[in-house]
Amino acid sequence: MKFFENKFTYDYSFPAVSLAYFLRYPNPYSRHVLTTDVIDRYVDPSTQRLHTTRLHLKKSKIPAGILKLLPKGMGGSDNSGQSYILETTIVDPREGWMETESRNMEWTGILSVVEKQRYQRLHADNDVRALDGLSIDQRAEQTTVRTTVTFKSRLGQGKLLGRKKADHTEGEDEAPKKGFFSSLSTAGIQRTIELIGVSRTRDAVLKSKEGMNVVLERLRSGGIVGVLEGMRRDREALGLDKALARV
Amino acid sequence: MAASIAPECNETKEQYDTCFLKWYSEKYLRGNTKSNDCDELFSKYKTCLHKALKEKGMDSMLDDARKSSSETDAEFLKKS
Repeated sequence: MKFFENKFTYDYSFPAVSLAYFLRYPNPYSRHVLTTDVIDRYVDPSTQRLHTTRLHLKKSKIPAGILKLLPKGMGGSDNSGQSYILETTIVDPREGWMETESRNMEWTGILSVVEKQRYQRLHADNDVRALDGLSIDQRAEQTTVRTTVTFKSRLGQGKLLGRKKADHTEGEDEAPKKGFFSSLSTAGIQRTIELIGVSRTRDAVLKSKEGMNVVLERLRSGGIVGVLEGMRRDREALGLDKALARV
Repeated sequence: MAASIAPECNETKEQYDTCFLKWYSEKYLRGNTKSNDCDELFSKYKTCLHKALKEKGMDSMLDDARKSSSETDAEFLKKS
């Protein structure tokens, strides 16, 4: 099990940051995000908190470094180049916080990645003032975000191997796996996979921060209309990328 | 707005997303948390999406993923 932790402060109010979170795709730093859907959304009647579940489809490949460590064929079917991310968020506008959790839904048998964020209004001194609207242009307000990412490789234990066994006939699967796992210790491979995950996450967290800042700047200068206009351009650029990739 | 995984749902998704943004920024964040302006559009979009996810065989994968994260949801609630 490995952890990654990061703290950051946005120079924007909590309402603006929470809005930007829901609006963050597409942005110029999110070319890898292909689609976003809202699976479920409701306001809890007892707490008045907004609960949202979204499904993102991202372009992602198992890093070459991890693929190298896997027995031949193991990464194959899972490495389609796309992966699903399930994201849940809870917003409490009165207390000025938002908690998010994102987890990968595929190849979790190789590496399961869970990202949690807590956004918090920095000056939680006055509840009434915070509800005074979006206060997008109040520079004074800040929002902190604490990001933790947990990596856990279960390679060689439990689910994945169990599933693989069921998929294939015993003889086919046993021989190469035995040879592979005896040459390197399972724990050593798990650690290596987790470390590769950590180094990739550093870049990903930085990029998503840049993306949020673009959306927040658009929000400040042009309001929601400005964000939507920017999105339209990003989406067109994404379409252009796809068209070029096909040529 | 971000595209839907099911292109046939893009139009209803866009309508719902637009409604949500307006409601979220103009009502919900301002304390009017009990309003439900977008319920109708959401159920229209959800119907389209769920049909598409079922056709892709993704409904069971989603159920599994949500079950495995329910532990974390419990943690969330405990904390807050």
